[in-house]
Amino acid sequence: MSELSAPDIDARAQRKNRLFELVSVLGVWALVMLLFASGCVISPKFLTARNLMSAAQAVSLLGIVCMGLAFVTYSRHYVDLSIPGIMALSGAMAISALPYGFAASLAVGMATGLAIGLVNGLVVGYLRLNPIIWTLAMVSVLAGLIRWAYGGLQVYPDEATAAGRAFLNLYHVKLVSLADGRIELPLIVGLLAVLAAAAHVVMRWTSYGAQLKLTGSAYEVARLTGVNVRRVVATAFVVSAATSALAGILLTSFNKVAAFYIGRGYDFEAITAVVLGGMALAGGRGSIAGVIGGVVAVALLNNVLSLVKVDDFVIGEFAKRVIQGCVFIVVVGLHSWALRRTGMDDA
Amino acid sequence: MSELGLALSMEQISKRFPGTLAVDGVDFSVYAGEVHALIGENGAGKSTLMKILAGSFNDYSGTIRINDRPVDLHTPAAAKAYGIQMIHQELSLAPPLSLAENLLAGRLPRKWGFVLDRKAMHAESRRWLERVGLDLDGDTIVEDISQHEAQLVEIAKALANHPCILVMDEPTSALSRQEVQRLFEIIRRLRRQGLAIVYISHHLDEVLEIADRVTVLRDGRKVATHEIRDVSASQLVELMVGRSVSALYAERSTRPAEVRLEVRRASRYGFFHDVSFKLRGGEILGVGGLSGSGRSELARSLCGIDPLEEGAVLLDGRDITPADYRQSIAAGMVYLSEDRKSQGLALRMSVAENVLSSVIPRQSRTGFYSARSGRSLVRALVGSLEIHPADPARMASTLSGGNQQKALLAKWLATKPEVLILDEPTRGVDVAAKVVIHQAIAALADAGKCVLLISSDLPELVGLSDRVMILRQGKRIGQIDRERCSEAAVLLAANGEGEFVQS
Repeated sequence: MSELSAPDIDARAQRKNRLFELVSVLGVWALVMLLFASGCVISPKFLTARNLMSAAQAVSLLGIVCMGLAFVTYSRHYVDLSIPGIMALSGAMAISALPYGFAASLAVGMATGLAIGLVNGLVVGYLRLNPIIWTLAMVSVLAGLIRWAYGGLQVYPDEATAAGRAFLNLYHVKLVSLADGRIELPLIVGLLAVLAAAAHVVMRWTSYGAQLKLTGSAYEVARLTGVNVRRVVATAFVVSAATSALAGILLTSFNKVAAFYIGRGYDFEAITAVVLGGMALAGGRGSIAGVIGGVVAVALLNNVLSLVKVDDFVIGEFAKRVIQGCVFIVVVGLHSWALRRTGMDDA
Repeated sequence: MSELGLALSMEQISKRFPGTLAVDGVDFSVYAGEVHALIGENGAGKSTLMKILAGSFNDYSGTIRINDRPVDLHTPAAAKAYGIQMIHQELSLAPPLSLAENLLAGRLPRKWGFVLDRKAMHAESRRWLERVGLDLDGDTIVEDISQHEAQLVEIAKALANHPCILVMDEPTSALSRQEVQRLFEIIRRLRRQGLAIVYISHHLDEVLEIADRVTVLRDGRKVATHEIRDVSASQLVELMVGRSVSALYAERSTRPAEVRLEVRRASRYGFFHDVSFKLRGGEILGVGGLSGSGRSELARSLCGIDPLEEGAVLLDGRDITPADYRQSIAAGMVYLSEDRKSQGLALRMSVAENVLSSVIPRQSRTGFYSARSGRSLVRALVGSLEIHPADPARMASTLSGGNQQKALLAKWLATKPEVLILDEPTRGVDVAAKVVIHQAIAALADAGKCVLLISSDLPELVGLSDRVMILRQGKRIGQIDRERCSEAAVLLAANGEGEFVQS
């Protein structure tokens, strides 16, 4: 075909594609700015060190979950719905192991998450079950398991022991404290930074990342290129479970109690953040930088909503959920629409 | 010709895609009661022209008249309303449904307003099936019928919508010779009934047999329209290609060399049985056979994509019988898959990423990997295979079919293979790209590597191979050496006949 017959159109199409990519990365950070500005306008409480600190910690917990979930979404396996279950069970197991010491507690908590991740990975990666159906079943099983094991009781860490106090303090540990505690860097923010850097490096600079991108972009092509697609997908689920377990332990530390409902809502918030950050459900697209933007946007949205008062009535959990759902629908809808417009949906 | 008048007249039709003028001022008309063949190399604009007719685009330019009335075909629904029906190469039947449900989809007969009228369904589907010469029950499930019957059901489905213009795109690609003749009888009958038929095919003998007129497209433009009795096959080929075909296959100097690849008694039961062959360094071994003869299955098992149940593969005397495809790639034996869109290239990724995807493990011994380190390799391959546009960052989906195929070849050449297995390396590719791909294959063989070439393109198979091995029903039934190899010999042997078949 006469490829060069219309260089002007060619160049325009190329520009359009590049613009589209740029918008999907910058767009989320623009949204972050907008939310930040509206937060400042809506409530005087927004721009206080206390509020911003709690926002940062919320960002960090969600962010840690998203760093793992991003691998699942990138591999075109949409979402790991067992996230809340993993968070709850890891937290509960960590508390149960506290009598054997703080390190044992962390190890048991993480091992729990990894074990569940391995099962997910084997079933979805190797047996090729539908990831949504399987992890949906898994989260139900996990919630049941916790209720059965703990008899529906809430599990508290024992504050009388050093390990118990260390566990409870985990969420509040500061890595750096400057100017009499006015500028602080909480441990979990530092953890998120390390995980984000690691996730970025793995995705962009390792053979696993390259193979994950190929698998997410075109599974069959990856298989016929000699990529061990089953292991690649299974690994993504293990990574997702590991970060969920970490977030679960931290959240349990914050809540001072383990219960089956811990981590509830993180599945949907996390996938909203990941998709909002430009990591398409179609797989193989997006970046960790974008996902971080998505996380900040979702956390800020929550924070701003919690400050909004209508006739002295604080908008509650229900409104938050409605708005989050709408954001998710709009983002996914816009994304599919944009892809169709640029003719990239079938490619 | 026909006294019935023009059923379809397309005047000065153009359609622009980003980067290409796919159809450029084409005039095309069909009389009622005429079979008008539309031919051209892949990428000549045939399918775009027919997509315009099917209402797939709302931004074409030019005038379309149906029965002398100017019409806008901006939606598929509009095209259907004007009586335009398409029969595609890929079947559009829903496999788990019955024939009747497929035939009458969207207008199933009902009684009392909502209950399916099974009896009416049965009778009506029966009527349409009989019209295409099928003696099948309407309750039969699509999954249970043969490919050829499905093709006829597809036609019945189109007829059931009372078309005045019927477009058939490669309707014989899955049919045997006898089945083609049956199809032609049906086409002739439809022609007598006054239907305007557009017949798209690569098979010139079919075109010469069934068409009344033929229009040749090349590079989006119309080259010529002829009465079929005024043209011969070689004239048509010249019109399509725009140059003489004999220049396509250069003579290769074959030198005797050591046996490098040896396949011993390879079997995958139900697909191929007890296949043995040897391949010398610098040799291109063609694999001939009809579709379903087990050619692709053999290739896929030899390199570990599918299991090899019996047998051994030896390269330079070393046993490399693979447990999985990764081992095979590591041993230097790679497979270029036949379907580039679903198995070959990740279309949403760049050319560079695709080319390097085959060497990710090799370029990252430490686990760290950067596409940058392969940049010179990609540039060299893009240059030597003349991939156009020569921009490695370009998304693979924006390339033309021929350039995509070159990129796919580049992906496997990047592994520096000792044995290259090619499965339909030039399917759906324009002539210029074909030449480049053939030269690259020949160059690889000249460098002392082994090439196993599976191709349904007989001129390619005959022109490129040093030897052709014939598979039939999963068994190796003979081989033809270069001196005596011709398209006719391969075709005859593939059908289990002729002097080259060893019993």
